[in-house]
Amino acid sequence: MNVEITFENTLNGNTLELNQEIFTLPSGESFMVKKFKYYISNVILTDSETNTQYVETDSYHLMGQDFNSAIELGMIPSANYDQITFSIGVDEVANSRTDQTGDLDPNNDMAWNWNSGYKFVILEGEFIHQSTQERTGLVFHIGNNQNYATVTLPLSGLAAGKSASISLETAIDELFSNPNSLVPSNLASTTVMGGPVADQIGQNYADGFIKAN
Amino acid sequence: MKKQAFILLLSISWIWACEDRGQQEPLAENAPELFVPSISKTLNVGSFPQPDRNPMSKEGVLLGKKLFFDTNLSSNGKVSCASCHQPQLAFTDAVPLADHGVTGIELDRHAPPLFNLAWNTTGLFWDGGAHDLESLNFGPLTHPNEMGADLTAVLLYLNQEEEYLNLFEKAFPATPIQSATMSRAIAQYTKTLISQTSRYDLWMNGEIEFNSLELKGYEIYQANCSSCHEEGLFTDLSYHNNGLDESYPDPIDKEGVFLGRFRISHDSLDLGAYKTPSLRNITLTAPYMHDGRFSNLDEVFNHYSSGIKQNSSLAPQLKDGIPLNKEEKEALITFLKTLQDDQFIQKHLQDNPDLP
Ligand code: HEC
Ligand code: HEC
Repeated sequence: MNVEITFENTLNGNTLELNQEIFTLPSGESFMVKKFKYYISNVILTDSETNTQYVETDSYHLMGQDFNSAIELGMIPSANYDQITFSIGVDEVANSRTDQTGDLDPNNDMAWNWNSGYKFVILEGEFIHQSTQERTGLVFHIGNNQNYATVTLPLSGLAAGKSASISLETAIDELFSNPNSLVPSNLASTTVMGGPVADQIGQNYADGFIKAN
Repeated sequence: MKKQAFILLLSISWIWACEDRGQQEPLAENAPELFVPSISKTLNVGSFPQPDRNPMSKEGVLLGKKLFFDTNLSSNGKVSCASCHQPQLAFTDAVPLADHGVTGIELDRHAPPLFNLAWNTTGLFWDGGAHDLESLNFGPLTHPNEMGADLTAVLLYLNQEEEYLNLFEKAFPATPIQSATMSRAIAQYTKTLISQTSRYDLWMNGEIEFNSLELKGYEIYQANCSSCHEEGLFTDLSYHNNGLDESYPDPIDKEGVFLGRFRISHDSLDLGAYKTPSLRNITLTAPYMHDGRFSNLDEVFNHYSSGIKQNSSLAPQLKDGIPLNKEEKEALITFLKTLQDDQFIQKHLQDNPDLP
């Protein structure tokens, strides 16, 4: 059966558009997204009744707004898959070096330049600062092995032998909430590239950031 | 006979590699000539470590050397690796903090000399943030204040140059030119920068004698410095706080660059700790330390004897400093001079066609 996985990016329930000043963060600050990219890796489909699994090999996909929005698994063994598992970021082995090709090619702008490894999720944009009322840059570059997050979601409607498109949805607002509420105007630094705030964002995207649509 | 078996093996792996791409089987003669550099026992290392994915070949090294000296890789066409890593200076640049990258903006750390890199398996850069040379190269290439390169533009450039097309085909047959192969070639070249032919090495090999001052200096070194600047490579490849500063600023926009090894390990004992630099070629590589703060060895000795700053991450063996009187300093300097490797410098001048 032929299977693809599509991603739609959203912010507070609205379809994301880059460079549009029409979005609001959970904190109430108005926010414009300029760049949004993330790695999805190690995709597995499971048929829990028969305990069959399809495990994609060399499974590293760089997704993003105005960038890739679908993963083509192609023809895979037929089964009544009812579960999808994937990770946000890249695993420790792939993250230990950067002389790699395909979606891990460092020319994708996702490799760090002072340590070996990848940014897992990047969000760049501008928000209106609550106290200065000024347009302020916000940069999240989240990586590091501790922020590699594996997600399992239930699937419905996939039947053995029938080609299928699995639609998933990212919610950028989830980067700012649950379990850690982040208010950009209150951040000590609006450039986050590691450290405790990055790890909070990592905890936020581990749960609820990507859902079945 | 042995050699034939080797070539056969190689050709089998080529067939393997090419099946995927549905390309023709290249002839065995096209396979790059793999080699392992000869290693002096005075380096006190076991073997020559290299990752399976990037075995060193003559062709790879030749390509890597050309890339290392090519300013066209940088965004303004003016900066190459050699701008900050100059062969005649044991591959450093003689200034505390380089401002000769593409933007002219001063870097936050001093450019270290480059030699005996293959053994840096505990991390590269002053804080060990880079795991291997194959990955490290993308750092200076793309850093906005170093070469500022757009890797896509670099690949376009390499694909347009007849000479590069040839060299890549020889080093990585039947493989498209990619940033991965480019970086692997540079890594192969930088791994050939092996300094092991200083007067010290000759002396260790019993080929020359040390005079009494050199001998005295050697003893002072052994007693006071060799726990970190371990004999052989003259570094233990580990991270220590050698007492340069009491506290460490952490400005928001600097991503922890002044915190030392802490930025990688997040271990408070690593605050202000940096990788022990080698003492080989030390007479060629001033200024010294991760920020180039000392302009000569006298200042370094004064630091160790009376300038150690105390804090909780200071290396324990430096707590009381290393007092050295004038005679001892003179002897120590005389010994350190024996670590200067002129043959290494000559061998790696850009114009020297012999490789490696
Ligand atoms: C503008 C100056 C500049 C340029 C150009 C430059 N470097 Fe460096 N290099 C540095 C500095 C500064 C460091 C130390 C960085 C750190 O530790 O954070 C460094 C560190 C290194 C190291 C680590 C050595 C060790 O002992 O850990 C290697 C290897 C290296 N550079 C290779 C290269 C290569 C290869 C290129 C070209 C692709 C290059 N450099 C271009 C300034 C430069
Ligand atoms: C506790 C370990 C330790 C001991 C003991 C030690 N060093 Fe160092 N040394 C270091 C470290 C770590 C650095 C790099 C520090 C930095 O840049 O922040 C260094 C840097 C240096 C440098 C500058 C090298 C360069 O390329 O910038 C020189 C020279 C030096 N040490 C000489 C000596 C001498 C001579 C002695 C003995 C009298 C000695 N060291 C004892 C750990 C040590």
